[in-house]
Amino acid sequence: MSKLKLSGVSKAYGATLALRRGDLEVLAGEVHVLMGSNGSGKSTLCKIIAGSVRPDAGRILIDNRPVTITGPRSARAQGIGIFYQELSLAAHRSVEENICLAALPIKSHLFVDRALLKQRAARYIRLFEEVAGEGFSADALVGNLRPDQRQLVEIMKALASEAPILIFDEPTSALDRAQVDCFFEVLRDLTWQDRGIIFISHRMDEIKAIGDRVTIIRDGETITTLNLAETDAASVIRLMVGGSGDMPASQSSAPAIVEGKDGAAITVRNLSGRGFRNVSFEVAKGEILGFGGLHGQGQSALLRAIFGAGSISSGDVLIGDSRFDASSPRDAIRRGCAYVSGDRGREGVISGRPIIENVTPIHYLRDRLMIARPSKLRDKVVPALQSMHTKFQSLFDPINSLSGGNQQKVIIARWLVDRPDVLLLDDPTKGIDLSAKADLFALIRQLAAEGLGILLYSSEDAELLGNANRILVFNGGSVSRELTGADRTRYNLYQAAYEAA
Amino acid sequence: MAEITITPRTRAGGMRKLLERYPFLPALVIVVALLLLNGFFSPNSLSYRSLTGLLSTYMALVLLAIAQTYVIYAGDIDLSAGAILSLVNVAIVVLMERWGGGAGAVLLALALGLLLGLACGLLNGIVVAALRLQAIVATFATSIFFTGFALYILPVAGTPAPALFWRTYGGRLLGVPFVFYILAGLVVLLLVLSRTRLVTQLLAVGDDQQAAFQSGLPVVPIRIKGYLLSGLFSALAAFCITGDTASGDPLVGGKMTLYSVAAVVLGGSALSGGWGTVVGSLLGALTIGLINSVVFFMGTPSEWQNFVQGLAILVVLMAGVLAGRRARA
Repeated sequence: MSKLKLSGVSKAYGATLALRRGDLEVLAGEVHVLMGSNGSGKSTLCKIIAGSVRPDAGRILIDNRPVTITGPRSARAQGIGIFYQELSLAAHRSVEENICLAALPIKSHLFVDRALLKQRAARYIRLFEEVAGEGFSADALVGNLRPDQRQLVEIMKALASEAPILIFDEPTSALDRAQVDCFFEVLRDLTWQDRGIIFISHRMDEIKAIGDRVTIIRDGETITTLNLAETDAASVIRLMVGGSGDMPASQSSAPAIVEGKDGAAITVRNLSGRGFRNVSFEVAKGEILGFGGLHGQGQSALLRAIFGAGSISSGDVLIGDSRFDASSPRDAIRRGCAYVSGDRGREGVISGRPIIENVTPIHYLRDRLMIARPSKLRDKVVPALQSMHTKFQSLFDPINSLSGGNQQKVIIARWLVDRPDVLLLDDPTKGIDLSAKADLFALIRQLAAEGLGILLYSSEDAELLGNANRILVFNGGSVSRELTGADRTRYNLYQAAYEAA
Repeated sequence: MAEITITPRTRAGGMRKLLERYPFLPALVIVVALLLLNGFFSPNSLSYRSLTGLLSTYMALVLLAIAQTYVIYAGDIDLSAGAILSLVNVAIVVLMERWGGGAGAVLLALALGLLLGLACGLLNGIVVAALRLQAIVATFATSIFFTGFALYILPVAGTPAPALFWRTYGGRLLGVPFVFYILAGLVVLLLVLSRTRLVTQLLAVGDDQQAAFQSGLPVVPIRIKGYLLSGLFSALAAFCITGDTASGDPLVGGKMTLYSVAAVVLGGSALSGGWGTVVGSLLGALTIGLINSVVFFMGTPSEWQNFVQGLAILVVLMAGVLAGRRARA
């Protein structure tokens, strides 16, 4: 019996299509797995069902009845409960309050019924009692819990909705083995009650263990739905990747390491810190080293830590031959390290200010410039901008007047006025169009050819495969595999990212 | 999860646990210290009589700080609290005078004052929560509007309140000063309110508005209710200021607004929302009152009083921050 059916659901944010055509049918009593690579639209699809994102088009049927979901409250009323990937917890409230937050039990129409709240929360806490670990109790503040414990609270909160349709968007990413097993026991109980469950995970073994059917989404479109018992991991990955999965990256695409400029640009030895551990690698001058893997496996944390904006607990970083441990980004910039974030709105753009001011801050810092003379600066700024074909009317237009791609070019240009030795790129092409991407990568390769060492993290695998000489695949904060030469294929990259380390 | 600032720890220290449970403890310590300091400079200031005087003078600020607390719980702010106080103050004084100043007139005027406070709160809530304007600027704008309304009702300060009203406020009932009954009533009211579902929801919204929305909480009505509470308590504060000054003044509350915000912070609540107690705000308001009193009893020359007051608030604020950090480290 069909519990939930979506057909032709789509959602666009401005010009970006987050979901082109989402189709999904969940039966009563099944665990339905959603699979797709980063940014393929899985989470958008889930949020549309849960009401926190409004779809642009498409139909939703619950129990074969068409419904309109206007918001999270209406979704709950329709019988939908959800575990949010980014969690939806109040850090300063207790575990039991968080579990019951959406429907606080009340007495006399006004007061929180503490006794009933305790009793209701205890029912869900009991399920995970044995695996919750030290410090977990009904009255502990959620903000004081470990990440895995918080994830358990979000699971309990989703269960407490007692909804006939439950969505779990990556509920296991921080859980350990015992916690996952316990959670799967709970899920099996739920399927016996004929509930419909949508489950997202990137761990192939988990999907095999718990899933009944799988729907594969690629580039915002539902590709197919398969019976998990009749398929294997390799063919699922192949479907996620698309037809060209086995093609090796074209050899000519990555620039060769510049000969005659021997020596490492940057060396990292056994580096550990918050979000990553025991990472070692060496980048030669002129080399582009790619960081691959699923989103949030420590790639950004590592780049930020090298730049002095994160935390390092042990290990060494060397630039050239000298030790380099930047205590702050200011220090890192002085010593020739550059960092470009994909989140330019928050970490790059000085919004509302002219383009010229957005290009020059690094120059001020490195040259200890006290007085800015626009006429002199123009001679330095214009070549930097032109090297990337940045389109702008006047240097004194506000940066917000540019498109996202051109803004990012301005941000990169600020590092080109004074050449750095090492360039750290943290998903630099997020949300920019194809031609700007092509310009960016042309420049990045040219910089490599001039002898810079470049670290490139990208959430788009095509960018890594097309530009990096080597790719380190991250999983759970450490490097699980290194892909070089002919091994750099889409298939290998996916496999390394999706298999448990 | 970047918003969560508390570091995860498995073993919590005793001090830290205590502070988590009673976040107003530093404020309490400071109030006691200031009382002792007052007693040191002028033993007379600890007498029953002086303390009663202190309480009746600062009860309005206490109530205004509590009004501010409920909106700050939800991560909002109300810069019009002082203006609402002024508006209700002149409205009830004018009404009482017009209706003759009898007991019935006083009670009716007070009832209308409460409604007026609620109406102001509703307007703030609609502007901030439903129209999604920035709380700081939007309530600043409504404060100008409320002040204008107050000036329209009573262009110049000075209309006296009926004797029945201020004599009751400053007088005694069964031998106990009336203001202690107000304090007792307030404590009961706060206890009741702290158990309501609304307060938990306000705190959850202040903690992470997006998370609260995604959890299915009705975020907009909750924030509007926060502003309603703020308007209600601002009106109650107006009653106290009317009892204390015995007259109407259309500008009396203007400079009290930021004092009320300061009191909330001194009481250990987070301006970003999601964390705090009303008891802390009560103590914070008393702290400000006691600082003023210490400055006076120390015999500070009048031209230095503002300087010393400002410095003292900074010192107290820093003491609270240090205590919190020590406990968390």
